[in-house]
This record gives sequence, structure tokens and C-alpha cells, in this order.
Amino acid sequence: MYTFDYARPESLKDVATALRKQGEAKLLAGGQSLVQALRLRLAHPPALVDLQAIPELRGIAVANNVVSVGAMTRHAEVAASREIQRAIPALAKLAAGIGDRQVRNQGTIGGSLANADPGADYPAAVLGLGANIVTNKREIPADKFFLGLFETALKPGELIVRVDFPLPLRAGYAKFRNPASRFALVGVFVCDTTSGVRVAVTGAGPCVFRAKRMEKVLAKDFTPQAVEKIVLPAEGLNTDIHAQADYRAHLVTVMAQRAVEAAAKL
Amino acid sequence: MEVTGEQLIPASQQTTWDALNDLEVLKACIPGCETIVPCADNEFDVVLTAKVGPVSAKFKGKLTLLDLNPPNAYTLSFEGQGGVAGFAKGGAQVQLSPEGEATRLNYAAKANVGGKLAQIGSRLIDGTARKLADQFFTAFKKHVSDSAA
Repeated sequence: MYTFDYARPESLKDVATALRKQGEAKLLAGGQSLVQALRLRLAHPPALVDLQAIPELRGIAVANNVVSVGAMTRHAEVAASREIQRAIPALAKLAAGIGDRQVRNQGTIGGSLANADPGADYPAAVLGLGANIVTNKREIPADKFFLGLFETALKPGELIVRVDFPLPLRAGYAKFRNPASRFALVGVFVCDTTSGVRVAVTGAGPCVFRAKRMEKVLAKDFTPQAVEKIVLPAEGLNTDIHAQADYRAHLVTVMAQRAVEAAAKL
Repeated sequence: MEVTGEQLIPASQQTTWDALNDLEVLKACIPGCETIVPCADNEFDVVLTAKVGPVSAKFKGKLTLLDLNPPNAYTLSFEGQGGVAGFAKGGAQVQLSPEGEATRLNYAAKANVGGKLAQIGSRLIDGTARKLADQFFTAFKKHVSDSAA
């Protein structure tokens, strides 16, 4: 039998104490990836620090043109939030399309971002909207957060407290999902702001990235036709049993067109 | 799928070759390598912990240097058991060629997994192979650069 310690702190201070006590401890958010790994014995941390009893990590607030989402907010809460549906409908829609109902009721935005799965949806919204990731130590702009496959700028002992999304002029998300896992084979988030257009692509590479060529043409002409001829080079894109790199490159173009179309409708 | 890459190593081809065959260098550069002990000619018993996302698996296995063509090329091959996690097999063909004072290192890496790892990780194998190969050769370049300085 394999055992581990379990702590359920009620404040960020107590999280820090728990992590100091056991440096190899894992933070448990919604557990939609970590608990699977534990069940299969593919991870064996000596301790889990459960974040669900910490009030500072919860809640949704819209003020001063910023939508703040607490790290432990479930996908289903974001999807159902009237405030988010009004402020950034594309974000609510993205949350509504993550995984299945069970994943959405349990999984959290902070957990998704800290895990940085290459096929996850939230990274596209965070990078596409140019959000700020607020941790217990600092603020990290989305452009500096995602570093590689399951790799982020988070340091040991650092955890996400909330994510601040600036309000866009308009935004849209489209994904081509794997029918079994509902992960994005490719997902594209487009966002039009006063300071330019941002296009973030998830599922296609080791981690989410921006398609700068698409951003440039969309800044001049925010229509699906503007990006229909832009195909990313397949080199460096993911190849797995579900899709080859060149197919993913093709999907990026198609999803970008659909995302622009979705944004333009709003 | 094969993952290819290259590094420009700021050292002569002979120095680079020697480093590629140096146990201490391999130990320092193989991601997650805990122990490496010679067990036969160009064969080593290796224990390493591979960490990818939420998964962390300890592998015990054999690292073999094949197709030796000093000081131009060899193949690094690993095969190991990760207990309940399953097995992993992987390797990298390495080629060296002089480029002025420095050495161009080209590699082509491959990986295969079986068991539970393959069950949940099939969509991540190539990405992981790329990441581990990048980590190894980047660490290798840094190691050789630092010892040359």
C-alpha cells in the first residue's frame, strides 16, 4: 500500500508552512490530472496540500475593466457566471467546452494553468486575452508564463491566486476537440483590443503560443477571410496518434477563421 | 517519429567526443539521472526519474553506446522498466562534424513507451522525447562550454 500525508490549509500562509514542512509535496487543485496520475501510480508525492478550503482563491469579480477569476474557481462556475458571460462571452464559452461535465464541476482554472497541458483550453484564453497571472509572490504576464511542455514560470512554493483578464473589444474561441478526451487537438483564441489583435494557439505545439502573422493581418482586417491563406509551418508542431503536425497546422487556419467569425458576431 | 536537433559545441571534435563518452558528463546531463554504473563494455546500469507534468516515474534500465565511430558518431540507447508505470525505450543517434574551432552536433532521437504510460500518455510521447532530448543536449553544450572556459 502506498500512503501520503494530506493537509487542507485554510489560508495562503498555512499553504506556505505546509510546503516548507514537506518540500516534495504537491498542490492539489481540482485534481483532474493529478488524481488520475495518483490512481495509476504514475505519481507518488509524499504529501498533498489541498487548496479547496482557502477563501482567497475563490470567486469572480468584474471591476475597472478587469475580470478577476480566483485560482480555485471551477470551469462550470466560469461558464455559468452572468458577469463573465456579459464581460467576456468567449471566456465563458471556452470554460463551457472544457472536458466533460465532471471535469468542469471539479477542475479549476489555476490547476489547468499550473499543469500547462499542451491540449488544455484555458492557456489559449489567458495568452489570447493577455491576462495577468497573480501568484502569492508576484504578477506574471501571460506572455512570460508558458515556457514549454508542462512547464511554466511558477517557482517551487509559488501558487496561482487569481487570473486578471483585461476586457477585450471582442474575442472568440474555436477548438477542434478530440472526441474522447475533449482536449483541443487545436484551439485558437482571437482577441481584438485597443492595442492590437492577439491570436493564441493551443493543442498544436508543446505549449500555447501566439500566431503573430495572423495577428498582423487581423489588425488590418478582422475577418475570417484575412487568415484563410495563412498556414503555420508544421515543423515543431505536435505529432501523436491522433493527428500529424501538418494536419494540426491546417486546423490552426480553420480554427482561427471560426474564432474570428465567433468574435465578429458578438 | 524522430525528433531532430543540433547544437554548436564550443570545443574541438575530440574534446566533444571524449565528453560524450565520459560517465560523469552523461550523469550530469541525462535528465533525472540518479545513478549510472558501468556493467560491461559501453553498457551502463542506469536509474533515472522522468518527470513530465503530473507524472513522475522511476526507471531502472540499461544505457548502451552503439555503432561507435570515434570521433564522429554513436548511438545512445536506453531501455528501462518503470515498475507499474510500464517500460520506456529511447535513443539518440549523434553525429559530430568540425565547424571552424567548434563542433556541430546533430542528433535524431526516438522514444517508445508501453504499459500505463502509453495508456494515458500516447498523445505526449513525441513531445516528451523532444523535450528530454533538448534538455540533454542543451545541458551537454553547457557542460562542455563551462569546462572549456
